[in-house]
Amino acid sequence: MKIDFHTHPVLVREMWEKYPELEHVARDIFFIRNRPQPLETFILELTISGLDRAVLLPIDATTTRGCTIYSNQQIAELCQKDPRFIGFCSVDPHNPDAPVVLEQAVKELKLRGLKLSPPTQEFFPNDRRLVYPLYEKAEKLGIPVIFHAGMSWEPRARLKYAHPLLLEDVAADFPDLRIVIAHFGWPWVLDTIALALKYHNIYIDTACLYFGNPKHFLSFVMKEQIPLSVIEKSLREKIVFGSNYPRVEIKNMVYAISQLGLSSECLELIFSYNPQKVLGEV
Amino acid sequence: MEIFLKRLAVQTHRDKELLDITDQVEQVIKESRIKRGLVLVLTMHTSSGIIVTEGLPCIEKDILNHFTKLAPKDGDYYHNRFLDIDGRLGFNADAHLQSVLGGIFVIFPILNGQLVKGSRQRIYFAEYDGPLEREYCVQVIGE
Repeated sequence: MKIDFHTHPVLVREMWEKYPELEHVARDIFFIRNRPQPLETFILELTISGLDRAVLLPIDATTTRGCTIYSNQQIAELCQKDPRFIGFCSVDPHNPDAPVVLEQAVKELKLRGLKLSPPTQEFFPNDRRLVYPLYEKAEKLGIPVIFHAGMSWEPRARLKYAHPLLLEDVAADFPDLRIVIAHFGWPWVLDTIALALKYHNIYIDTACLYFGNPKHFLSFVMKEQIPLSVIEKSLREKIVFGSNYPRVEIKNMVYAISQLGLSSECLELIFSYNPQKVLGEV
Repeated sequence: MEIFLKRLAVQTHRDKELLDITDQVEQVIKESRIKRGLVLVLTMHTSSGIIVTEGLPCIEKDILNHFTKLAPKDGDYYHNRFLDIDGRLGFNADAHLQSVLGGIFVIFPILNGQLVKGSRQRIYFAEYDGPLEREYCVQVIGE
């Protein structure tokens, strides 16, 4: 069971047709300009990449951007369309009722995890007053939380909110909360690695591409910024595959990871076991 | 003289593939009711193409393999950078180059309302960066 842990369904044409505001959200907030594609294209991407399922990630930016980059209901709707989708929810951290919204999304909409994007939602993830109640709820619900970390292409996103070291307090204060640091925390790769080495509840996803092509970039991050042996020996159980589709095609990221020279056992962990573990399936 | 234009969509299923669209082109000629003239088939994308070759799977495979050798996926391309117009990196220079190599359109004569082509010739939509839903247009010009 191979899983892509990081996708955004922002270009699904059927959803644009049903919810016309999603075009503005994709174009001007999420900042992607490619033309929309039928849902079938997304499924075909998974299929030709040899993957079985994909985690769908929304972002609730109601306070900071006046919109949701897919609502929890829209994510749930997509999950109804195809069983290969694993829906995550998002909540607005500035909403005092965020823990309640989270509980509803998990219990009523059957969403499986929480996505937060501090640079889009403009909060510091170690802000105890603002977001700790949310983490308490997520920990209680037994769901993972995936944080955007590092570089963001969104024009209004500020990197000051995205430093992975801001997640250390969260990992230490919520030891039962499974945390995924997205995008390898790039450019703060060593900081991200340090957290994943130290904290049992921190995982990293591979959804990073900021220059070059996927093969060259991931080779730079996973073989030059750190030795590949660190992944193979120390972090083999802490990395989950993520593509960041549709900013990058799934096929290209699968190819890039497969070309690194990792053992087949390690690749199996990255593509299958680790994502399932974070989801609480194994 | 009459001009008849039709835009057609095609869902590709692989990273690279050739899809025979000869029947679809002939159908558009029929719809146009034009008996004598020319037909133009043009892809609407810069990472796909329109080509003509013999309708054999072995040749189809050889063409795609050859294009991949000429413009490999992992080449050192200037296109490998962030593109504001897309909001993402443009690392598909191989597909763009293959589109240039194979061409983006073909033209055939029409006589008696029929496509005039060699018995082995087939018209293909060439996908170089799929799977995607693509568009091509068929324009029939004549009388």
